[in-house]
Amino acid sequence: MDRLIDLERVGVSLGGLPVLRGVDLSIGPGESLGVTGPNGVGKTTLLRVLATLLAPDAGSGSVLEAALGTPDVYEVRSQIGFLQHRPSVIPELTLAENLRHAATLVGANAAKAETALRVVGLDDVASRRADASSFGMLRRTEVARLLITAPRILLLDEPFSGLDVEAQELIRALVYRTTSDGGAVVMVSHESGQLSSHTQRLLPMALGSLDQQS
Amino acid sequence: MSFWSQTLEIARVDLTVERRLGDTMRIVLPFAVVAILVFPLTLGVDLTAVSRLGPAVFWAIGILFGMQIALRQAAHDDQERRDLYALLGVDPAARFAGRTISGAVLMAGFLAVLLVAMIVFYGPRLPDGWPGPVVLSSILVAVGLTELGTLAGEVTAGLHNRTALASLIVAPLALPLVIGSSQTLEALARDAGILPWVLVLVATDLALAVAGVGLARPLEEASR
Amino acid sequence: MTRVKVLLAIASVAMAVGLWSALTAPADTLQGDFTRIINIHAPSMWLAFLAFGLTALGSAMWLIRKQSRWDRLAAASAELGVMFTAIGLFTGMVWGQAVWGRAWDWGDARLATTAVMFFVYLGYLALRGATLDPTVRAQRSAILGVIAVVQIPLVYFSVNLFRTLHQTQSIRLDVVTMPREMSIAILVNVVAFTILYAALLVARIDLAKAEERVGAESALAGDAVKPPRLSEVKDV
Repeated sequence: MDRLIDLERVGVSLGGLPVLRGVDLSIGPGESLGVTGPNGVGKTTLLRVLATLLAPDAGSGSVLEAALGTPDVYEVRSQIGFLQHRPSVIPELTLAENLRHAATLVGANAAKAETALRVVGLDDVASRRADASSFGMLRRTEVARLLITAPRILLLDEPFSGLDVEAQELIRALVYRTTSDGGAVVMVSHESGQLSSHTQRLLPMALGSLDQQS
Repeated sequence: MSFWSQTLEIARVDLTVERRLGDTMRIVLPFAVVAILVFPLTLGVDLTAVSRLGPAVFWAIGILFGMQIALRQAAHDDQERRDLYALLGVDPAARFAGRTISGAVLMAGFLAVLLVAMIVFYGPRLPDGWPGPVVLSSILVAVGLTELGTLAGEVTAGLHNRTALASLIVAPLALPLVIGSSQTLEALARDAGILPWVLVLVATDLALAVAGVGLARPLEEASR
Repeated sequence: MTRVKVLLAIASVAMAVGLWSALTAPADTLQGDFTRIINIHAPSMWLAFLAFGLTALGSAMWLIRKQSRWDRLAAASAELGVMFTAIGLFTGMVWGQAVWGRAWDWGDARLATTAVMFFVYLGYLALRGATLDPTVRAQRSAILGVIAVVQIPLVYFSVNLFRTLHQTQSIRLDVVTMPREMSIAILVNVVAFTILYAALLVARIDLAKAEERVGAESALAGDAVKPPRLSEVKDV
């Protein structure tokens, strides 16, 4: 596969307002890209398009060779990992149960979930309910989930926000694992300093478009 | 993972969450029993009327409150949860099916307790051979109502007035279930055949299942 | 736990004495042996009133003093009150079915209002179960606990309130002439059940204290989060 992500003049409108316009983006295996910009320029919307959760209203694109906005995306979604701004866990389940649930749904065994918990340092608090866990613990749980699912495309939305140094190092290790395994990483943040130390390439975003000249 | 494996895993987790939250059994069910209790007081304790109205009240309260069970479950599916399942490769149809199974189990338990409460408080004169048809129609109502609630939840996802709107959508669409279930017992009491009414329930459930599975993907896309 | 064991031991003896007196008291001339169930029914209802009264007291004191022991008292007492109300309702229905041929009699206002009281306090417990934060839980349930106590006089005086609206039962507890031995048996059981209630209340409060201690310790769970094993990331 030559290009893992390929967007051509992609535009998206939400609530009748244009959020993305004329976005061109091409990312190959082993590449990592940082997208920076102030709040409201469309960074999260871009990630949602790359996650195939939003279909473009204009332009065309493909992720893992599945054309965006077509049923083909259902075949590749399980190869995409998305660390969203708000943790997505089931609050009433424990951290371990959340992981085992994800592992079961992707066909992995429970042992993998236990290993992932140990690697992210949550093995002693695994029986804690998600709704009684801190933001940092939930983030680590999500990282553990991504370790289990081993996505080829890793999308990270403000991943370092509210995290301690150890957790940030964990995300760095996840990014490194993904790219060294031939996957691609796209990370967005309003702080370019954080991105430049974790990605190979940095693109600023403004008014719904990427500044490719940067 | 296969469609049915995903379905059963989703159902299992849904039931685990319900066991911990206790929405259905600790809140909706007692509320429904209070409604069943309070109703006869409005009839001025006319015991004959109370006795006669028992089955009708059971179905009316069962379906109206049962809707709340289905909608509560659907409300747990916020945007992050739907995205999570999508990116774990869960087929939206499997999510619908899993939600239907877990909801139907909860609702069947709910209707069972409500039925006992109705029999105790109303003392109805039920026709001979009533348990089988009543159990069957309760199960069919449970399945159909859950399907409706899940569909309504998807259609109203992300809207600020979701709960009220979803209730408004479900209530009239539940009419075939109301008619089919209440008429099953009436037909039994008149010694008429119950088959047509059971078929109404089965057909409704099947139609909703086809709609739920067939429309799962478009609904998921629309909810974004 | 020692005081709980002592109380439970005393309660066991008292219950045994109560059971003996219930079984040896003469049967009612009209209702026969069915009347013996009153030795469970009456004490249960008395304890329901007592328990919910203590819930109201605990709730009011919490609102004034904001001390967690009052919240523990209110919650524990409410749980026991719900249990005893359920026992009272169930035994009332069994009695009704046996004596009058119907488990539920809408003509008995006390039965209906007791059932409503049961659900009010079920709602109280559901509210507590749904509120995670201990202080918010105590605050909200204290307010509900104070409001809900109006159920007690409503149930107790319901027979008088609804006398003009509903036909009264042809046989009512307060007009049945009981042999003296029966009255004594009921009183003995009221005392026995009250001791049992006290034992269970103390046990439940002790359990609540233990739960709070565990909760306080696990609040330091952040210390249990270990450094990630970065070198093993690639092996998952």
